[in-house]
Amino acid sequence: MSRNRTTDEAEDLAAGRATNGAAADWETSGDSNLADDDYAVALRGVVKRYPSGGGEPVVALDDVDFAARPGEFVAVVGPSGSGKSTLLNVLGLLDDPTSGRRLLGDTDVTSLSVAERTRARKESIGFVFQDFHLLPTLTAVENVAMPTAFDPGDASDRAANLLARFGLGDRLDHEPNELSGGQKQRVAIARSLINEPAVLLADEPTGNLDTDTGEAILAEFERVKAEGVAVIAVTHDPLVEEYADRVVDLTDGVLTGGLPGESDPHADADRRGGRDAGRTAPGPQVGGDRG
Amino acid sequence: MSADDRAPGGAAGWLRGWRPAVSMASRNLRRNRVRTVLAVLGVCIGVLAVAALGIFGNVLALGADDAIGDIGTQVVVSPNTDAGVESLSDADIASIRRAVGEPAVIPLYSDSATVARQGDQTFATVYGVEEPALAYEAAEGRLPERHRQGAILGAGIAEDLGAGAGDTVEIAGSQVRVIAVLVESQTFSPVAPDDAVYLPESAFSADGYAQALVVSDTGAEARAAADAIREAVNAREDRVELFELAALVDEINEFFGLLSTFLLGLGAISLVVAGVSILNVMLMSTVERRQEIGVMRAVGVARRDVLRVLLAEAGLIGAAGAAAGTLLTVLLVAGLVLATPAVDTALVLDRTNAYYLLLALGFGVGVGLVSGAYPAWKAANERPVEALRS
Repeated sequence: MSRNRTTDEAEDLAAGRATNGAAADWETSGDSNLADDDYAVALRGVVKRYPSGGGEPVVALDDVDFAARPGEFVAVVGPSGSGKSTLLNVLGLLDDPTSGRRLLGDTDVTSLSVAERTRARKESIGFVFQDFHLLPTLTAVENVAMPTAFDPGDASDRAANLLARFGLGDRLDHEPNELSGGQKQRVAIARSLINEPAVLLADEPTGNLDTDTGEAILAEFERVKAEGVAVIAVTHDPLVEEYADRVVDLTDGVLTGGLPGESDPHADADRRGGRDAGRTAPGPQVGGDRG
Repeated sequence: MSADDRAPGGAAGWLRGWRPAVSMASRNLRRNRVRTVLAVLGVCIGVLAVAALGIFGNVLALGADDAIGDIGTQVVVSPNTDAGVESLSDADIASIRRAVGEPAVIPLYSDSATVARQGDQTFATVYGVEEPALAYEAAEGRLPERHRQGAILGAGIAEDLGAGAGDTVEIAGSQVRVIAVLVESQTFSPVAPDDAVYLPESAFSADGYAQALVVSDTGAEARAAADAIREAVNAREDRVELFELAALVDEINEFFGLLSTFLLGLGAISLVVAGVSILNVMLMSTVERRQEIGVMRAVGVARRDVLRVLLAEAGLIGAAGAAAGTLLTVLLVAGLVLATPAVDTALVLDRTNAYYLLLALGFGVGVGLVSGAYPAWKAANERPVEALRS
């Protein structure tokens, strides 16, 4: 119900922001001349398998195509254990896909060295976690500046400005245990933005917050995306779906509506139908419309 | 992602990376004060053990060296009576002088006589010596450059007779004024000066010297002198017999060296235990902070920098423990010196003891870094996705 509404909204927004043409490009043209740089981040045919104790490997992501535009807020929903965290980890360069391609802007970041991945994370990706994950020994402003703590130059001013933007200008020197949950999450969002990333990945950002606070945090995400950052949130929270431009569904490793302008309920049905075949033999392409 | 970007400014950049690392590390250490203090205490005790035992061993060795040093530096040359040589001639002395070069050669006449003063009397060895100042030191009076008149008393005899410089004693029936009393001999020497009386050479009518003392500065010099005498004076026939303890002194020194090493080894064991405790603390701490470290890595902190933070923590524990241990050692040694009058302060203040302090200090910091290395490496290399999952 709310799902449909949001999806519609998402389509409207997508159509309004980027041209329909760009979305159609991805849909219709071959792989070779896709305008990848239109997307802040994209996965193409990504498979992630985990070895399981002796038996068949567990397929966490099954031929996933996903993309998010700059300034787009995408919510990833799905039951627990469906591979949402894996998707976020692969998108966030914390985990590598077993196969498929991963793009950050127009750069192929499928297989990078550990150091290169770390650097790419620092420069292009912001993380917001359910548990906030602030370092308890650092003040708010130090937590925000933490990703750059070992870099030349002092990012404290930038961090303080960010905190001020999120209404925490008077909490700069507070340690995390002196902040409320909503304040902590704002600090975490500020931290994720310290290096002006292209993509903000959020794992259950409202999971530990009450509804009002959650709504306030989502409002912050709206502001973040208004600055051209692609926000991708994995969530169980219907509230997040309401705020999202696009809601994609991940069930048993199969992603539905991963590409902008693709969220067609019928396509959902098709994909789900093809999933079982895909699981027993991971090779076959599930999104059959593109080879 | 060029190398330049990663290491801006070379050494300066390298140092700059340590500042935030040390700052984060010190805050992390403050989080679990009790654990940190216990780890510091472990290093402190280890450093104390190494430094204190090292210094004790060193003081022992120095003290022994001090006590036996003189015999190690003296060579006593006597005529070889087995070969029919009854005394050392001037020619012998001259060839000994030529052979040894630098060290002083002091020929001695020798006899024995009764020495008396105001009813006390004792039997003493009487030496005739021309240049006593080369071999001895005066506790009272002054040793003449050329001994022409008067008697010089050994400390023991002077005490027995209650005689001091300026008094008169009776030696073999003649009254002789005492011009000096020697410093009590700290050492065992073949020419025992404590129970001897030294008279000018003119008091003796013998036609040859009974002994010659070769006084060197070091044991090595003494050994070289003895070898030279053997080669030069005993070349054709064994005219002289040599009494030298340099070789014995070497063995004694070797023993004390071994003792020092043994004591250091004992201390090192406690330092190793301290290292294990740091290892334990750091492992526990990195396991507890697994998620935090994962977050740092996730938001783009490089492995190298995570490693720095954790190494800084271990290094700080090591440094704090080492500093405390060093300070404690200084206090302990000072207390011991004050409480034990037998210990010679000069030996304790010897510069070589500082070396043991520095050694222990360095070891303490080193143990911290070495024990911290594995947990730090392990934590820094954990995949953030694994660390965040927990």
